[in-house]
Amino acid sequence: MGAEAAQPSVNPGVNKDMEAVAALERDAELMLRVRGGDETSFALLLERHRAPVVHFLYRMVQNQAVSEELAQEVFLRIYRSRANYQPTAKFTTWLFRIATHLALNWIRDGKKEKSQESLNEELLDGVERQVPDRQPTVEQELLHAVRLKEIRRAIEALPEKQRAAVILHKYEELDYAQIARALGCSQSAVKSLLFRAYETLRSRLAHMA
Amino acid sequence: MGCMKQSQEGARVLIEYCAGALDPVQAAEVERHLESCTDCRELAEKQMELWEALDGWKAPQVSADFDARLYARIAREQAAPSWKQWVRRIFEPAAPVVWWKPLASLGVAGAVLAVGLMMHTVPHPAGAPQVHADQVDIEQVAKALDDLDILAPVNPM
Repeated sequence: MGAEAAQPSVNPGVNKDMEAVAALERDAELMLRVRGGDETSFALLLERHRAPVVHFLYRMVQNQAVSEELAQEVFLRIYRSRANYQPTAKFTTWLFRIATHLALNWIRDGKKEKSQESLNEELLDGVERQVPDRQPTVEQELLHAVRLKEIRRAIEALPEKQRAAVILHKYEELDYAQIARALGCSQSAVKSLLFRAYETLRSRLAHMA
Repeated sequence: MGCMKQSQEGARVLIEYCAGALDPVQAAEVERHLESCTDCRELAEKQMELWEALDGWKAPQVSADFDARLYARIAREQAAPSWKQWVRRIFEPAAPVVWWKPLASLGVAGAVLAVGLMMHTVPHPAGAPQVHADQVDIEQVAKALDDLDILAPVNPM
């Protein structure tokens, strides 16, 4: 029995959960230090969350320049409100709540049309960046570009909240409670949003299988 | 386990299964169900295909000067007059402020108060029946007294 007790946990899920808890505590701790005036902690928070926030916003607005502009606004607002920070909720939930709010506002303001011209150029840029190391044929590149374009269009065509829910769920791996907080709705509403969004996407992208 | 595809909750569990988000016990339960249910197996396969297709959409790398631009904005903001900083804090809060919720609460409270005041000031319609009830009581008392009068001579006293 003693030998059994001494054995480390074999469930990888438990280790993953413990790592997640440690990461959450780390975020709150860093933010509390930022509140105390520690600029280095803000730099660390920025380092940890810069890419997820920009990537989330990029998939929401589908424009790199706009996504970075909005991400800067997210971190600016966090910095601005550092004095009033209370670790009542997960830092990432707060972060994505701000990011979602800014993205939805940007989409609703109709700013998307203004950036449509650059979208096609970006599509090509994105394809170039995503080509694997081994040399693909021209045909493979074109096929990849077409598939990517279809995915982007299918997600773009989703209603705003469904789009945000899918991106937060699929790409940022947030749980239902976190998505609910980010979107300002109930968990059952999130389940419904995701159910309908995935149903639509399965239908629209069925031919790609 | 019934067909999971038939209910939204069941379909949600299937989606979580395809995302690899279920614990091993739940996942094993879903797998047992998929062995016997063609409809659910088909849905799970389609969801897996969708999941893989979505994996193909990678976001581009963040620009190298992202941090420099952010710190420049922070510096500009800190150099601004303090009244401007306060205005920004009020009109550009970190967490989105849901204005309609407190307004809706105030509206409901106001409506309840208004209805209460109206009910207080309007004459009570139940006044008439109340008077009638009083009259009935007086009549009953008078009749009882008359009865006593009638009985009085019979009293052996």
